[in-house]
Amino acid sequence: MSTPPSDWEVVIGLEVHVQLHTRAKVFASSPWGFGQEPNEQVDPVVLGLPGTLPVVNREAVEKSILFGLVVGASVPEHCSWDRKNYFYPDNPKNYQLTQKDFPVVVGGQVEIELPGASRNVMGEHKFIRIHHAHLEEDVGKLSHAGSGSLVDYNRAGVPLLEIVTEPDLRSSAEAEAFLRSLVAMITQAGVADCDMEKGQLRCDCNVSIRRRGTEKLGTRTETKNLNSISSVRDTVIYETARQIRELEAGRSITQETRGWNAELVRGYVLRDKEDAHDYRYFPDPDIPTLKISRETVTRLSALVPENLYDRQRRYIANLGLPYTAASVLVNDRALAEWFELAVAAHPANPSGIANLVANDLLRDLAASATAPVSLESCLIKPAQLAGLVKLTDEGVISKQQAKEVFTEMFTSGRDAAAIVDAKGLRQNSDTGELEKIVQEVIADPAVAKSIAEYRAGNEKAINALKGPIMKRTQGKANPVLIDQLLRKFLG
Amino acid sequence: MAEGFDIDHLAKLARLSLTAEEKALYSSQLNQILGHFEALAQADLPALSDDARVVDEAALRSDEPGPVLGSAAVTRLAPASRDGQISVPRVVDDES
Amino acid sequence: MGEVLHTLSAGELGRRLAAGTLTSRALCEALITRFKALNETVGAFTHLDQADVLAQADASDARRKAGQGRGPLEGIPVAIKDNIAVKGQPLTCSSKMLAPLVSPYDSHVAERLRAAGAILYGRLNMDEFAMGSSTENSAIRKTFNPWDLARIPGGSSGGSAAALAAGLVPLSLGSDTGGSIRQPASHCGVVGLKPTYGLISRFGLVAFASSLDQIGPMARSIEDCELLLNALASADARDMTCFGPADRAFAPSGDAKKLRIGIPKGFLGKGVAPEVAAAVNAAVAFYRAQGCAISEVELPSSDLAVPTYYVVATAEASSNLGRYDGVRYGHRSASAGTPVEMMTASRSEGFGPEVKRRILLGTFVLSAGYADAYYVRALRARAKIRGEYLAALAGVDMLLTPTVPTPAFKVGEKASDPLQLYLEDIFTIPANLAGLPALSVPCGKSGHLPVGFHLVGAPLSEAKLLAAGRLFEAAHGFAHQQAAL
Repeated sequence: MSTPPSDWEVVIGLEVHVQLHTRAKVFASSPWGFGQEPNEQVDPVVLGLPGTLPVVNREAVEKSILFGLVVGASVPEHCSWDRKNYFYPDNPKNYQLTQKDFPVVVGGQVEIELPGASRNVMGEHKFIRIHHAHLEEDVGKLSHAGSGSLVDYNRAGVPLLEIVTEPDLRSSAEAEAFLRSLVAMITQAGVADCDMEKGQLRCDCNVSIRRRGTEKLGTRTETKNLNSISSVRDTVIYETARQIRELEAGRSITQETRGWNAELVRGYVLRDKEDAHDYRYFPDPDIPTLKISRETVTRLSALVPENLYDRQRRYIANLGLPYTAASVLVNDRALAEWFELAVAAHPANPSGIANLVANDLLRDLAASATAPVSLESCLIKPAQLAGLVKLTDEGVISKQQAKEVFTEMFTSGRDAAAIVDAKGLRQNSDTGELEKIVQEVIADPAVAKSIAEYRAGNEKAINALKGPIMKRTQGKANPVLIDQLLRKFLG
Repeated sequence: MAEGFDIDHLAKLARLSLTAEEKALYSSQLNQILGHFEALAQADLPALSDDARVVDEAALRSDEPGPVLGSAAVTRLAPASRDGQISVPRVVDDES
Repeated sequence: MGEVLHTLSAGELGRRLAAGTLTSRALCEALITRFKALNETVGAFTHLDQADVLAQADASDARRKAGQGRGPLEGIPVAIKDNIAVKGQPLTCSSKMLAPLVSPYDSHVAERLRAAGAILYGRLNMDEFAMGSSTENSAIRKTFNPWDLARIPGGSSGGSAAALAAGLVPLSLGSDTGGSIRQPASHCGVVGLKPTYGLISRFGLVAFASSLDQIGPMARSIEDCELLLNALASADARDMTCFGPADRAFAPSGDAKKLRIGIPKGFLGKGVAPEVAAAVNAAVAFYRAQGCAISEVELPSSDLAVPTYYVVATAEASSNLGRYDGVRYGHRSASAGTPVEMMTASRSEGFGPEVKRRILLGTFVLSAGYADAYYVRALRARAKIRGEYLAALAGVDMLLTPTVPTPAFKVGEKASDPLQLYLEDIFTIPANLAGLPALSVPCGKSGHLPVGFHLVGAPLSEAKLLAAGRLFEAAHGFAHQQAAL
């Protein structure tokens, strides 16, 4: 479904608009946030009242630079803002402040991971180049009521980073993988929350097709204002199929701007090239060119988290984690850092720790009775989890018992050792006592047949002796020790 | 330099509707003015430099939320409003 | 008492207020009386809330009585051009487009004036959105030159100049994009200063051409002009182009007799009326006699200034005025239709002919296919002009020319010829293009009509310009002059 017939290749470029994580708007001090009453987050500057002037929000600039550093872009010495002039009721000044010629981020690339053959198998990795990213202002929201429309300017002036890729994506799966990777990198660096439910991430999707093996790009269409990853995926699939159908029917592709109806899973024409806007860009005279100091760049560099796939490679290569666990951990920076703290407390068994974190911990966090518990408020601390794994590794408790102890730790936050003692779970590792019990069981005629079989070469026959031993120790015998003792006495 | 001057296109871009008389008047006046601008086309000019207008990060605003007008004040300014929002004629998708 | 108060300088009024021989209420009542008698004739004000003025005056008197006076402007009325926002007052820019607008916020200069204890005294007429040189483009009313009521007061700050010349107020604020303070100051025989770009915050000044606009003080004497400048100039974090250092004092400094004054070569030849040339030459002779070094300077790109200005200014204006569409505030057309039709009708009804002309011109010079030939070349020409001015001002302290080539013309005389009107600004425009401070000083009469000369200095050389102005003013009888009405 996601791959076009083999003789056509799809070429995709994305423009991703991300609302940056700031408290105030990008050129005004008005606060912003989701779910406010209409026009409550509007000040004279946001409303574009005559005489008002923009002043750039430092945090928005720094978040943009941080994004650039995250994707390995160069941070330019200067950036500046331009006016994009067009009339629309949601655009308070009838020009949008954006960056046309000197954006805050130039270049960079985003590593993506395509789905593997199965969940346990790592897929192909690719790099998608970023052309640039520019810092601009969002517009207000229009809603329709009867014969008229209503305008709410709460969203107007919210800082938007528009991230523009090179036309490097070749399938809907790549587009989807790119967006997932981008969102993970942006959220892990604290640049933005990318909550798509709240419209914090919106995409414009440029699609063209060409004969496989040819260089020349086909005529592209731009589908605007896609507000979910699945809409981007569906748009690419839809638009690829449509363009192939057109070309194979002997028609040509019109360079046009399109809209997307997510409910009907269908695109439609908004306007063709003839109607293209003349935006009359020019440098905004109210905002001087901004010099970006290298001190700022150095300071922000320190905030760049480890790249998600670098981390994944390290977990697999250095810590010996299976791909499945590694991929789960690296998608959540807080979880990965939590995991690493636990590993630091018990470096001998990262896989054992990863297993508990990626399975038991995530499951219990998500399934908490009231609301999902965050990692921060979780009662188990990384060193405590490490302690639990250590007890298991030392054979003090069995893996089965470890699950039971984990559940108790999750609700009480007590140390594993204390829970083990309180519950009397500690395995009997007293060699002298166990030797005696093992010898008694061996002497029991009821197991003579099994002993004979074992001695005849049937390895599994030894297990028949373990049951009675466990029974005599009320299950507390250290199974590793019992196995050793049995083999010793049975020769 | 003034070739291709299209008063209808400009009026549309600028969201102005002009009567036939206004079109004739503005066309002739703008052509006259643009003729006077010919000196600009002839002049030997330096490359563009923007160094007179550079600020450093001290000119940026801190991310501190400030006061808002409130929707009552916003709608009081507006020529038409409803339920805290500004009313306009019905907007057709991406009308341009 | 009321008969003489309007003739006094702001400095003298301040001294009497401080001495307790005058109250702000008495001063304001006297001025209101004069307003009632003369404003219909002169047309300087578009709005004066008398009750509000008297309430401000009473508050000022109470502060002073309580020993909480705020400085030399305490209790002194300052009239404000109607493109500078004052909370609770109209902000019409003399346009039908903004006729319904009452500003919900204060400009930076309004805040500064309040902090200085001044009385924010009414709204002054202007060319619509500051586009014009005669105030004939006001959609609200005509303003007449107090020295000859058949003539224009100049513009766009015509109301600001006429109010001073008619003795309606001791101080006023104007704004200057291409000469809009200096040209009407010259025509009305008053002092007008366009400060260095960035010295005074533009926050709350309705934008015409953002990279050229500056608010400036207007007064009947250099001393009063300084007084007002000192109150206005300060840094403001709400205007990224404003670097005004906090509370810089602009008292005249240095020995004005040692100033080096440059006369741009050929300037007096360019359509300058003989009486204007004579008055300006007399001023040059005065400075030479005082011991100033007079020299000729070359400004080879002067001819580019007017076209450069009109490209840059109209380009910015076409964008700045885009926000007036009848959606959020101001005039909305009653004719229904689609949003595009509503916006188009609102703008077509709300803007006057000159504003439309400049919007169309600015739209053209920015439009696809033409921006490089016009807008980008104008930016390059601007850089060249700025470079030539800075180079010239490295060798002299200031440049002296007429402010305007001719005295005030008759109402209606040039209304039909925009290009002719644009040439009114030939001497004043370069200071805006180069961001330089410039001062117009009254220096004589052409018949009964005032004439001024124009000084342009290096960035932040306001104190030098004012010192030169004082030297001239002290030796001549033009300070505090008012038209007989």
